[in-house]
Formats: sequence, structure tokens, C-alpha cells
Amino acid sequence: MNIWNPVRITWLHRANPVVKLGLIFALFFMTVLTHDLDFMMYQALVFMVCLVVLSGVKPWKMLLFFIPFLLAFISSSSSMMLFGKGETLWWEWGLFRVSEESFYRGLHLGFKGIAFASEGLLLVTTTSSVDLFYSLMQKLRLAPKYAYSFMASIRLLPMVWEEFVIRRQALKVRGVRPIRGVRNMVNRAGMYVVPLLAQSIRRAHRVAAAMEAKQFNGDQVKARTYYYPSRYSRYDLLVIGLLAAAACCAYVAAGYFPWFGIGDVRFD
Amino acid sequence: MGTSMQEKLGVQPRRGLRLSDILVTVLVSLVFGVIYHFWGSVYNLFKPLFFEADELLYGMWFAAATLAYLLIRKPGVAIIAEVAAAHVEVLFGSGWGLTLLLYGLIQGLGAELVFAAFRYRSTSAWTLVIAGAGAAIGSMMMDFYYSYTDDLQTWMFLAKYGMRVISGAVIAGLLMLLLAKALDRTGVTSLLRPASKKDYEALDDARHV
Repeated sequence: MNIWNPVRITWLHRANPVVKLGLIFALFFMTVLTHDLDFMMYQALVFMVCLVVLSGVKPWKMLLFFIPFLLAFISSSSSMMLFGKGETLWWEWGLFRVSEESFYRGLHLGFKGIAFASEGLLLVTTTSSVDLFYSLMQKLRLAPKYAYSFMASIRLLPMVWEEFVIRRQALKVRGVRPIRGVRNMVNRAGMYVVPLLAQSIRRAHRVAAAMEAKQFNGDQVKARTYYYPSRYSRYDLLVIGLLAAAACCAYVAAGYFPWFGIGDVRFD
Repeated sequence: MGTSMQEKLGVQPRRGLRLSDILVTVLVSLVFGVIYHFWGSVYNLFKPLFFEADELLYGMWFAAATLAYLLIRKPGVAIIAEVAAAHVEVLFGSGWGLTLLLYGLIQGLGAELVFAAFRYRSTSAWTLVIAGAGAAIGSMMMDFYYSYTDDLQTWMFLAKYGMRVISGAVIAGLLMLLLAKALDRTGVTSLLRPASKKDYEALDDARHV
């Protein structure tokens, strides 16, 4: 099951989820530790390209997912731009104080947000959660009770949505009036949240009892077999090579074609 | 129902988390994950009100941790709850990517440490207020690395995190306590209690201390 509906199957789809997870976290740490504006900009660019090429999702659909990127960009950069520390003052109005340093630092944060989002989506768009949890159990020895709980609850989630719809209809039938005022809003939220949560707890408890009866928790058996075996393959190496090359590209490009050339964006 | 099933199977009640504890925690957090997803739009509505006003709603993002603790009252649930809630948001393709998982982990840890300090026994309003604030401080730590917030002007830094801590204390602390009480009244929590009561007796047992 893949909600992203890829039209092409790429190397990234074929690689082992644990390898991908490790790789993405490695890229994350690279991005977190990058304080150079040019390198960060090229990272954002390179990983966006990787995402369009490697996710296998239709490009127009991918564009749709760039909208939240834009929001992330604005919200992570604006605050630092307007309120950041800096000495070369550009513009001041009331509490807002835009300086050269804070402006570039804000820009840096925006690119950082895009780089993070692209790296995350590289994993999310190419890995189904079932594959991920099966390989976490087999390769990283994640206790089956955690893995199966996550997998089961993902399947239970649509039922919660169904119950939400039923609850809305039930309230409508009982003639609940449209929301007026804050107090009313809180009451109304309670009318939905309490029954939905109560029902989720009941259902989760029932399902868990059945799963425990079938030994899904894996407490009693040391060695167990899995329905989906998870293996390493040559695609793992290919993907590691590919993404490492992408990161190197960004680094080299930042060295040879710097756009800003201001180096470290941190204050002093 | 749960207990009789265990007895039939010969499963000994243990101090650690059982599959049912985890499943309840994860499902409740997943519901919260969906709420978070929509909360994002409420959060954005608040933005234009005055700058960083959105911080006043930030506490909602810690709510899964405290509610899960109020329901299960065992070590580890606060962390699992936050990670599970973040995991749904990641699945939905949030613009924040996998950083959310790290945020979830450290926010959960913030709340978890507070509960651990009270030895997982206290469910008083104060404990929850401190736990909500603890989660906020956890997220602040993450912000240092993620977005250089220590480079903000000092007053802005204080305003931003002051609002966040208060929001964590009120929404994740007090509001979730009210919600947990409402859930208690529906009677579902009695499904989860029998096991945890035994656990506490085991903790109190002199032989184990």
C-alpha cells in the first residue's frame, strides 16, 4: 500500500527501508550542521531535484507538495529576518529590525526547511509503512509489539474518520446549532473529541486483546519468522552512492559558484 | 475482559508496557496526529493576529504525551505518544519532514522526565502543568539546533518561549487533564486500569525496591 501512487518504481523504492532511514538521518545531520548559506541553498536545490526524479510521483503532483514547503520557508525565515540579532541595520520600524545578518540567517533557515522537507519526503514517498516496520523488526530488532501496534493503528485510523462522520451526522439529527462564540466552540470540540477518543480506546483495546492472543506481541518466542522478509540488495549501495553524490554535488557547487559568499550565518 | 483473557492465556502481568498499552497509546496519538494536522491551519490563522501569536497554540503539539500518560500511567508512553503523533504527520507529507520525529522524540522526553521525577504516580494538575512546560522546553532545545533561536533578539526569545511554555502548561497540562476526566466519566479508562493498578502494587512491594 502506498498512498503516494508512484507512476515509476525507482532505485529508492527498491532499497531496504532501514538503509534509507539511516541514509536520510545522515543527510539530516549534514543539513543540521551546515551553517554556510551557499551550501544550504544548493542542498535545498539538489534534494528537490532528487525528490522529483526519485520519488516516482507525477511531477505535477509533486508540485502540489511544494506548497507546504513554501509555508515552511516563510514561517521559518520571517521570524529570524525580522527579529534576529545583527549589526548592519537595513530597516527598522517599531519592533521590527531587519539587519543584513538576520536577513541572510532567515534565508538560510528557509533553505534549511526546504532541504529537510525534501529529505524527509524522499523517504516517505518511497516507503510504505508496512515495509518500514517489517524491516525495523528484522534488521534493527525493534520489538514486535511496537511495530505491530503502529501498523495496526494505521489501519484503524480510517475507522476513526468514519466515526467522526457518524458523530457529525448524529449531532445534526439531534438539532445541534451552528457554533457561536468561543465557549460554544470549546463545548462543541468536546462533543466530538470525547466520544471519538473513547471509541478509539475501546477499539484499540479489543484489537490488542485479539493480537495478544495470536502472539503478535512476540513476548514468548525468541526466534520468529516474518511474512515479509526484509533483505539488503545492490540497490542499497546504489542509493547510498547516488545520495552521497548529490550531497557532494551541492558541496562542490557551493565552492565553485557561490551566490552569496558570506560563509557562516551564525551571530559572532 | 482484558484481565480474564490474560489469565486464560497464562500471561503474567508485567511492569513493562504490554501490546494493549502500546496500541491504545498509538491509536490515541494517531487521532491527535490528525488533529495536529488540522491544528496547523488554526495555528496559521493565529499568525497575523500579532507576531508569534501562534506560539500561544503551540501546546497542542504536546497534548498527546500528557493525555497518553493520564490514560496508561506507565513509563515510556509519553515518548511513544509524541513519536506516534509525529509519525502520522510525516505520513501525511508535512512540510517539516522527518524533523518532526526528532521534535516528537525530544518533546516526549521532556514530558517523560517530569513524570519520571514523580515516579509515574502523580496525576495532579501541577504535575501536568510542569510536564507540559517540560515538553515545551524540550522543543526549545531542538529549536536551538534547528533554527538558531539563540540568535533572536533577547526580548523576542523570551516572548516566544514564554508563550510556548505557558501554552504547553495550559493546553497540554490543564486541558488534557479535563479531557482525561471526561474520558473517565465515559468509563473506558476502566479497561486500561486493572493492569496499571497491579503494576503500582508491584512497585510498592518491598521485595522489588
